[in-house]
Amino acid sequence: MSDRLIMKLRVVGARLTTPDVLMLDLQHPKRPALPAWTAGAHVDVMVAGGVRQYSLWGDPEDRGRYRIAVKREAGGRGGSKWIHDHAREGSELHVSAPRNHFGLDGKGGRYVLVAGGIGVTPILAMARVLAAGEADFTVHYCARNAAQAPLLDELRAVCGDRLTTWFSQEGRRLDVHTLLARAAGAELYACGPNSLTAALETAIAAQGFPADLYHREHFAALSDADFVPDSFEVVITSSGRKLHVPADRSLLEVLRDNHFVRGSSCEIGVCGSCECGYVSGDVIHRDAVLGVKARASRLMPCVSRARGSLTLDL
Amino acid sequence: MTDETSVKQIEAFAHPAAQAALGVEGGTTGWKGELLHIHIAPAASYEMEELTEATCVAGRGIEGDRYYLGTGTYSPRPDVREITLIEQEALDALARNDPPLQEGPVVLAPEEHRRNLTVRGVPLNHLVGRRFRVGEVVLRGGRLNFPCKYLENLLDRPLFLPLYNRSGLNCGIETSGTIRPGDVIELLD
Repeated sequence: MSDRLIMKLRVVGARLTTPDVLMLDLQHPKRPALPAWTAGAHVDVMVAGGVRQYSLWGDPEDRGRYRIAVKREAGGRGGSKWIHDHAREGSELHVSAPRNHFGLDGKGGRYVLVAGGIGVTPILAMARVLAAGEADFTVHYCARNAAQAPLLDELRAVCGDRLTTWFSQEGRRLDVHTLLARAAGAELYACGPNSLTAALETAIAAQGFPADLYHREHFAALSDADFVPDSFEVVITSSGRKLHVPADRSLLEVLRDNHFVRGSSCEIGVCGSCECGYVSGDVIHRDAVLGVKARASRLMPCVSRARGSLTLDL
Repeated sequence: MTDETSVKQIEAFAHPAAQAALGVEGGTTGWKGELLHIHIAPAASYEMEELTEATCVAGRGIEGDRYYLGTGTYSPRPDVREITLIEQEALDALARNDPPLQEGPVVLAPEEHRRNLTVRGVPLNHLVGRRFRVGEVVLRGGRLNFPCKYLENLLDRPLFLPLYNRSGLNCGIETSGTIRPGDVIELLD
């Protein structure tokens, strides 16, 4: 599930939902149906000089179009600015088939969804699916004010009175401790800026909220500024070949140098493109994608490393 | 990545597989096949696009294709990839789950298999080390194609085993020219 097909899609709708968030509707110029997806999925969008991930916020039942929302990130790497400047009705965007690292658990029961700002996109798709399935769910939406809350009207239409808004300029701030106390036993899904998820995670740890009921989507890879990479050795299972990964190079780069073809996209540990299996080794996982269970046998070679020797399932 | 030095191709008959097959008796003769579809993709992972005609450039590939441009998944590795072919008969067999290697039939549409040319009536496995023509273009069979997990990942379908030994033929282009669906395909020598 690493490589995804890239399609040249046509922009059939482009309008601002807030002053800095552009909603785009994308269709395939030659086919009526796009690849299927499930709530929580994202697509890769090719931008000048790179790739950016955007969650799909539309209806998974609607195979005719993908709907994304792009926030202009002034302090970003320029990808969102490029989209804002280039995407017009009729223009072409190169978009991958969807991928989902943030899927809704199908166990039923109760759901509490928390969105912060542009993090509303996957949450809106989830709310739509839960509402259609008549599930027991509530949504908490944090933003500065209504005017700067992307897709607020769409979310209201889907959720009705199951939506609670927390607009800081109105003096309303989400109290994560109260939220967690009320969410006891529910599946908790969160997507938003790191400040929001960090507050949630601190409270989760403090209150003993079960970690397996908590699911988050990452906007940016976890930056651990104190991390000092070391060199390590790699053994390729199929051939017994040995490779050396120097401290200043990624495992992905070394694999590529040695003709192990790996797809990749973000190269910062958030997209899951370059995922690879390993047989043994003391792995230092530095990605933001893999769950605890997956980490026992999978790693992301773009950011993750090992202590000593690592045996790769290649 | 469009400068020509980044495109590393092995001349088809210089590949060890073709070297071993050259001059060895065998292979079916007297057949006459047809070109059904032409597909190219601009870069690795991009959807294949169907063409109504294509320009084949000797020693390079099909104009606009990832292996012509050097933007393919395997472009960094020197190989025979100027133009790749697959048999419609193999795709038909997959679609009827023959032999029954997987859960059920695998339907691979012409734009999905990622080979450039879909052909009918052409015994591709017999053409390593052989020259044959597609319309006005002369091709050289360099090596058998081999299925890869990359395609499986891309399409999220079991393909590796079903395609084994019928994954197509990787060729070099000996004589440049334009090809179109409907072109006749014939053995030269």
